[in-house]
Amino acid sequence: MNDLIIGMAGSGGDGIVSAGESLIGAVAQEGYYGMLTKSFGPQIRGGESSCRLRVATLPVLNPGGALDVAVVLDWDDFLRFGSELPVTADTVIIFEPKSGVDRTTLPLNGLWPKVMCGVPMEDMAMKTAGAQQAKNSVVLGLLAGWLGLSPDSLLAGLRKKFARKGDEILQGNERAFAAGLEHARRTPLGRNLRLDRPTAPAKKRIIADGNELCARGAIAAGCTFFGGYPITPATEIMQHLQRDIWEHGGVVLQAEDEIAGVGAALGASFAGKKAMTATSGPGLSLKTEMLGLASVTELPLVCVDVQRGGPSTGMPTKCEQADLFAAVFSAHGDTVRPVLAPSSVADTFSLTVEAFNLAEQYQTPVILLSDQELAQRKEIIAPVDASRVRVVNRLEPNAAELENYTRFRFTPSGISPLSHPGLKGGNYLAAGIEHDEHGAPTANGEVHGQMNNKRLVKFQPLRRRHDLFVLEGDPDSKLGIIAWGSVAGLALEALRTVRAEGLDARLLIPKLLYPIAEEVFAEFFAPLSRCIVFEQSHQGQLHRLIRMWVDVPKQFESYARSGANPITPEDIVTQIRTLSRSGTRKSRPVGADLLNPI
Amino acid sequence: MISTDDTSGGTPAAGPAPTPKDFRSPLKPIWCPGCGDYGVLNALYRALAAIGRPPHEIAFVSGIGCSSRIPGYTTAYGFNTVHGRALPIAQGIKLANPDLLVLAAGGDGDGFSIGGGHVPHAIRRNPDLTYIVMDNQVYGLTKGQVSPTSPRGTRARSAVYGSMEGPVNPLLYTLAYGAGFVAQGIPGDMDGLAAMIEEGIRYPGFAFINVQSPCVSFGDPENQVKVQRTRMRKLAAEGHDPSNRLRAMELAQDYGQELFTGVFYRNPNPPPTQGSQIKALQDERRALKAAATAA
Repeated sequence: MNDLIIGMAGSGGDGIVSAGESLIGAVAQEGYYGMLTKSFGPQIRGGESSCRLRVATLPVLNPGGALDVAVVLDWDDFLRFGSELPVTADTVIIFEPKSGVDRTTLPLNGLWPKVMCGVPMEDMAMKTAGAQQAKNSVVLGLLAGWLGLSPDSLLAGLRKKFARKGDEILQGNERAFAAGLEHARRTPLGRNLRLDRPTAPAKKRIIADGNELCARGAIAAGCTFFGGYPITPATEIMQHLQRDIWEHGGVVLQAEDEIAGVGAALGASFAGKKAMTATSGPGLSLKTEMLGLASVTELPLVCVDVQRGGPSTGMPTKCEQADLFAAVFSAHGDTVRPVLAPSSVADTFSLTVEAFNLAEQYQTPVILLSDQELAQRKEIIAPVDASRVRVVNRLEPNAAELENYTRFRFTPSGISPLSHPGLKGGNYLAAGIEHDEHGAPTANGEVHGQMNNKRLVKFQPLRRRHDLFVLEGDPDSKLGIIAWGSVAGLALEALRTVRAEGLDARLLIPKLLYPIAEEVFAEFFAPLSRCIVFEQSHQGQLHRLIRMWVDVPKQFESYARSGANPITPEDIVTQIRTLSRSGTRKSRPVGADLLNPI
Repeated sequence: MISTDDTSGGTPAAGPAPTPKDFRSPLKPIWCPGCGDYGVLNALYRALAAIGRPPHEIAFVSGIGCSSRIPGYTTAYGFNTVHGRALPIAQGIKLANPDLLVLAAGGDGDGFSIGGGHVPHAIRRNPDLTYIVMDNQVYGLTKGQVSPTSPRGTRARSAVYGSMEGPVNPLLYTLAYGAGFVAQGIPGDMDGLAAMIEEGIRYPGFAFINVQSPCVSFGDPENQVKVQRTRMRKLAAEGHDPSNRLRAMELAQDYGQELFTGVFYRNPNPPPTQGSQIKALQDERRALKAAATAA
């Protein structure tokens, strides 16, 4: 096999996520590509936890759909993840017989996988290590055996992991691992799961998730201030930065609330530093007023929103793409702010740099819309190179401009030089209240109109940013698909699959979501007779947003689904096949998805 | 005393010393004639001239309200932000550039109602900045509603039958949270107020100055600038030792009854400021990185 998806679930203490981390570390060592997605119940400790690992000889674009292998330590825990761990008749099921289920009472709604393998993992752990907690080492041994992975790289990982726990625990886990390996060698599964060797020799690669790459991108862009507040699933951005930022002369402030976090960041930007805040949906709601202040005072600011299920507290540990409207429209008044979305884990690094560059160039808040999936899944990727990024800095006033400094001077581009405290002659009043060119408060309607125009016209060049879009597929195809964020990787794989079948489509992945790049969309839509937007939100928010701004093809449809019901590549493939065969699909009336939830 | 790691008053610039006039901006205040805030502004000009830092090295942050217009009436870098958020923004500025002299100001509604949640955290972080609250016991900009410092029973447009809440006590509250410098002044005592602001700026850490700054339009007519001058009791004249925190808290309990002016508390052993701790951490991490690179 050259592409394998493993899903594992158990109770919190079973160490199933830790087993996934060991596994991705080992396959990276051996030169495979891989992607590890973790999923938890809402409990703080205990409760159910799961992970899915996709291993392949070529770069992995998404976590994939149905599992090839399911490791079930406990059926109740496993089933709680529902469509996050989909099983088919072809899935190899490795389960703990102790969890009260045998072959005849499988709780899979009438589904009977061909390969079912009960392994007494708990007994094996007790026998070899004297502790149930060694179950996950048994699992690693089993998988090493059945997948044909080198025991050495897994054992090296175990040694590292247990180094600080003492010899006794380490040796117990080594014995548990060996028992699992031996069991796999003696027990043929009835289906070959052995992975092909990686095609290219192992190059130096890293394992990282989107939150870590966001933090590293920020530092690469020159960020020296972070203000934020803990919130799932964005907290790791703050944690990474508070480890690394000090040596760059930077500061992390864990503020008393979301508003203070963004406020401190805005203050730092006023003082001349590149500043960022990061949050998830509820925090974005709280920060909104401050984003408006950043718009009116024309101060650079990066605000990351790692989307989770909403509204309100919603589903903090689940992925959704439903904050797009909030990112675009929240904050009162006639403001526009750029909204960017990375389309892969690796992309998060460069898009974070881009977010800073846009913020500095256009003196504006920028929202980076990541999502739980991209933020928290670990991927084996090429190392990021901070020395090669292009960094943009804000336009500062020159000596002549400081002679008679006019902070909000009207210019053709809408951008006026920005000073900062400490710069002699650059003194000005930044105010949330409407102001004239000099910064003096005003309630004059004419000036207000001119200032609104200044703050909008500066974004005109973004309409032509083709480089913030990925185009794939056949330029002559009449069928277009659009996907963004973590759904983009699913669409890319679906496109590969249908092209192999001789079908084709044109795929657009927008990384700039707002302002809508009218030129780019108009060019994309021109040859199309139909187009579908795939996204993980109930209303299909991008689908609706595009309609506001651009003339769309006659058949412009939405394939949208609420969070925690992941769209799979197969879903997208099925849509493309259906459209290609029938030539047309019955168009759903606008709003139908509101009345008839998918 | 001027600290070296954080700037506090900082080092006066070379060249001619600034005068109060150098801090006066061309903008005409929107305040009503007779408003206490004029006195605060003039005291501030004098305090800043005494400190001697040029206007471009000063960042002056405020929230929303009549008094929050004050940064625009100075020549410093001003940031008139959103309601209640002067303190977080001021902290961000100070953290980003510790060399700046940072002032925050606003009214009692801005500081103790909508922005009340930020006060304890600013105090416990101990950034080296000075926070001036113009406390008039009323919302003036919205034309006369009860504020967090209005006495119980206050009749106002938002409480025509009298308010049912007791006031917060800004002095006791900041002392209890551990502020290292707490003072109260009145615009009628210009010399005392200017000296107090200067002292607050020079204190190496978070300094809080509550100014009983009467609202001439919606405030208590029996408690205006001239009346205050007769009611005021100077703490120095009462023999108060400002290093005695418990005595300061006892005196502060009379907020709303007695009009004490002067320094309630000045911590004789100021704890490390946020800025000095951050600088130490940055230096340590840089040294480790340099050592790792060299190795």
